[in-house]
Amino acid sequence: MSTEAKKQIIDVGDGAAIPRKSDRGLFTAWRIAFFGAIGTIAYLVWSKPDPYLNILKFVPDGIAVTFQVTLGAILLAIVIGLITGLGRISKNRFFNGVASLYVEVIRGIPLLVQIFYIYYALGTIVKVPAILSAIIAMAVCYGAYMGEVVRAGIESIAKGQREAALSLGMNGRQTMIHVILPQAVKVILPPVGNEFIALLKDSSLVSIIAVADLLRRGREYASESFTYFETYTVIALIYLIITLFFSKIIGVMEERVSVNK
Amino acid sequence: MKALRTLTAVLAMGLCFVSAAFAAPKAITVASDATWPPMEFVDANKKIVGFDIDFMTAVAKEAGLQVTFKNTAWDGIFAGVEAGQYDAIISSVTITPERQAKYDFTTPYVQIGQILVVPKAEKGTKIADLKGKKVGAQIGTTGAMEVKKVAGVELKTYDEVGLAFEDMAAGRIAGVVCDEPTAITYALQKKEYSSKFKIVGKSFTKEAYGIVVKKGNKDLVAQLNKGIAAVQKKKIDLQLKKKWQLK
Repeated sequence: MSTEAKKQIIDVGDGAAIPRKSDRGLFTAWRIAFFGAIGTIAYLVWSKPDPYLNILKFVPDGIAVTFQVTLGAILLAIVIGLITGLGRISKNRFFNGVASLYVEVIRGIPLLVQIFYIYYALGTIVKVPAILSAIIAMAVCYGAYMGEVVRAGIESIAKGQREAALSLGMNGRQTMIHVILPQAVKVILPPVGNEFIALLKDSSLVSIIAVADLLRRGREYASESFTYFETYTVIALIYLIITLFFSKIIGVMEERVSVNK
Repeated sequence: MKALRTLTAVLAMGLCFVSAAFAAPKAITVASDATWPPMEFVDANKKIVGFDIDFMTAVAKEAGLQVTFKNTAWDGIFAGVEAGQYDAIISSVTITPERQAKYDFTTPYVQIGQILVVPKAEKGTKIADLKGKKVGAQIGTTGAMEVKKVAGVELKTYDEVGLAFEDMAAGRIAGVVCDEPTAITYALQKKEYSSKFKIVGKSFTKEAYGIVVKKGNKDLVAQLNKGIAAVQKKKIDLQLKKKWQLK
């Protein structure tokens, strides 16, 4: 059954359709921020092509790198998070211990230090390109947070679900895969979305290891043209537009999931 | 009687302050990015030292100024002088036409040039020989601009020049371009690097350092120029060059 059809059935069954959050009013905070930011950039470029248009021409490859780092890191972090989360609730003492130690250690060290450390520590063993080591550093850090999100999501599922699945004759693994995890995803999705946005912003820290991301491209432009204020204005607006765009996508995804309650 | 005594005391104190204000040298804050040995760096005692620091101190003494140093990141050091966070910059700043358009400079006080440092195994002797490879420099320096001019070479910019050398030691980049005195420190004098790196060719630019002041602050420029002239006349700068092993 398509999601549309499902939604309709639920809507009919539940009485009047509940208005979706994003439909309430024309001037939502999101719209003001998103279109305001785009409008501001457009106005700046139109009114003062030098330096604003030049900045905008200079930074696109930086945006691509920022995306690359963010997407690579989040995918890797989700995998690490899933393993860590399962480890944290595991009864296997070794698995549990390793996962817990990882979470405790990583959460206690600032991301900037981790990026530095992984970059230069890895460099002494294998020659990893800066961008790959940036992705690894971000994923290692966010994997720990993601592990806690996964653990909390799984623990939030009522005990009865597990008991019921087990009494139906499912084994532990089947219970986890077919009963617990699908429900936990619903709980996990909003905080994962949050982590994604946070990771996107924190990816600016990788400019410390000479990865030419959006922030570094901006800094390169600013330090040569001495237009610090103008450049950072544009950089801030671009970050804002990107994060708002993704928060919208995540919001829509959350709604999709919650419709099927 | 008591009131009179108090009044006299207050007056005397006031006089003291006024005369002190006339006699005391004008205090200025000078920014420096202390990551550029031997010109400016932080020593084992956490103090900012180097040729520039000694030179500035001597200039200030001659010009009747009282100077405090402020360690500032290079990236944004010009923005700081523009915003008035400090009065001047002495930080191996090359005088370039682009910078002169935005800021005021004193008379040049040191002549230097950019030079290339490569790993010992590298055969190339100039930036153009490193086509298809990555070359590092500190962000926003004249070295970075020189690398950028060469087509086919990828410029990697670092917050500090030391990080670029560290990356070259790890084998990620094929060369580093920086000011000659700094290159000598990193390639020949630092123990951990001297076996790995070599300086190739001669310095390929002619540059001069100047002290940077906010555009329009003519009084300070004049005062500093007076100090520089005095220091050069007394040959103090030559002694300092010897002390910090500059050519």
